[in-house]
Amino acid sequence: MTALAPARKYVAISRIQVRAALAYPLDAVGRAIAIVLFVVVFLHLWRATYQVTGRTVAGLGLRDVVWYFAIAEVVMLSQPRTAPLLAQAVKDGSIAYQLVRPYRFLLFHLSARVGDTLPVLALTLVAGAGAAWLSVGAPPDWRGVALLPVELPLAWLLNFLMSTSIGLLAFVAEDTTAFEWIYNKLLLVAGGVLVPLDFFPGWLRGTAALLPFASTTYAPAHLFVRPGGPGAIGLLALQLAWIAALGSVTWALYRHGLRRLVVNGG
Amino acid sequence: MSSTATPAIRVRDLRKVFTVTRRRAGLRGALRSLVAPVRSEVVALAGIDLDMEPGERLALIGPNGAGKSTAIKILTGILQPTSGACEVLGLVPWRQRETLARRVGTVFGQRPQLWYHLPAIETLRLLAAVHDIDRREAERRIGELAGAFELGDLLDVPVRKLSLGQRMRCEVAASLVHRPRLLLLDEPSIGLDPVAKHRIRQMVLRASERDGVGVLVTSHDAGDIEALCRRVVILEHGRIVYRDELQNLKRSYLSSKRVEVHFARPVTLDRLPAGVRLERQDAISALLHVDTARASIDRVLAVLGRAGELADLVISEPTLEEVIRAVFTRGAPEPST
Repeated sequence: MTALAPARKYVAISRIQVRAALAYPLDAVGRAIAIVLFVVVFLHLWRATYQVTGRTVAGLGLRDVVWYFAIAEVVMLSQPRTAPLLAQAVKDGSIAYQLVRPYRFLLFHLSARVGDTLPVLALTLVAGAGAAWLSVGAPPDWRGVALLPVELPLAWLLNFLMSTSIGLLAFVAEDTTAFEWIYNKLLLVAGGVLVPLDFFPGWLRGTAALLPFASTTYAPAHLFVRPGGPGAIGLLALQLAWIAALGSVTWALYRHGLRRLVVNGG
Repeated sequence: MSSTATPAIRVRDLRKVFTVTRRRAGLRGALRSLVAPVRSEVVALAGIDLDMEPGERLALIGPNGAGKSTAIKILTGILQPTSGACEVLGLVPWRQRETLARRVGTVFGQRPQLWYHLPAIETLRLLAAVHDIDRREAERRIGELAGAFELGDLLDVPVRKLSLGQRMRCEVAASLVHRPRLLLLDEPSIGLDPVAKHRIRQMVLRASERDGVGVLVTSHDAGDIEALCRRVVILEHGRIVYRDELQNLKRSYLSSKRVEVHFARPVTLDRLPAGVRLERQDAISALLHVDTARASIDRVLAVLGRAGELADLVISEPTLEEVIRAVFTRGAPEPST
């Protein structure tokens, strides 16, 4: 047995989820079509705005804003959706199977969600980047492109930890739909998906930028268009800090939830 | 089996109490419940003792809400008990859940463990990887299970295209991939047709007899219990109300026999002894229920013989279904041991 042998089971979990996702690829294709439509709509919206405001707003031009939006939407559309899956598993009792296997429960979900979001991530990235490129030309800074293989996994991990924490509430609460809904709306607004945080008033921008929602969507999108900016290192450091904090919260919720779990059925 | 072998299951004074929030009726009630929720306690297990030897096949039966599934979930480490002691294969389930999972196989009724859109073989391979079985050994084991349980090409068909019976056969095979020492079956044949039920029982029996796998089964299906188990434990309202050999349950609980008689010529049956109930009668046949505590079979046969020439006679025991129904509705008997 090699040192990597324990990882084999988690790779196997990711692989079976990829195959399951590819067995029904319509979801991934649908999201890819959605991102193209979103980019086109936002292109027209921001083009009209820039015709009024001038070439740049808060240091960002039309090309920056369209690419920013495309990357933020890639993060949104390839979110790992642990919360509804966990809630459903608790409701229908199938959580029992997830708990009687010799693996770490949270690592199982991490691997499984990697598997079922990888095809979506790949398709939405290609479609979103393609739409942005055709609309406004090449990415504004190639260093941002180089940073993407680091930034997208960090953003994905933050989404995973948040969604899993919400899902783990299903161990004690009956329904987590409201929490999920609020979280997604906070990503759109406080995470800077709809309007970049750079356009917010100073005090609001400062506050929003410190929250985990900004680390999830604003940070990867902003670092894609302004990788060499003055706040770049700070954004990265804050992302890592939120991953550590939310990781601890997720672990604590899991330990607490397990003690209070009520499995339905029978 | 060595008498010093670790017991498959050893449970002492196991209690599980759930706290449930009750919603008040109506809109006003719902709003009040948000502010001041009404909580109450539900005792699922009220202090049970349970022992099971390695390789034994034991049935845990009881009406809905008796605590069977709660017991199974504690035994697998999914739920933590409120108090009491529990060891499964020498391990404390909720503290050593992962280690225990390597030694225990589980089938939870209609809750699928197979990936729905993929062929079952993909799940079996995944479960082998999850149990750290190397690829070559995994393929060998899957081939062995497919051969032993006549799964044939079923493993290569997407699970969504399998019938429920076919799927359950693959589910049982999946629970055996890692060669468990104990199989916990929670309503394994629920919803299956008689042929599929028979095949599932045969699979479990074969695994138990060939590899010495212990089996703990909860079921409402008397056929499951009769086909699989020698010993039975009856739970009611979270307490064990009966534990004994299955045959003793039938003997001790229902002291009645069914006597079906056919005469050579039409007869009139009257003056039957006390303790004999005539359930059905036509010109040449009758079905009698005999309470053997009040009327001996010998005496009943003598009465029937006097009534006319016997063409055929069948004396049968009550079915397990009848026994279980009687236990649930009338309470448990004293065990014979």
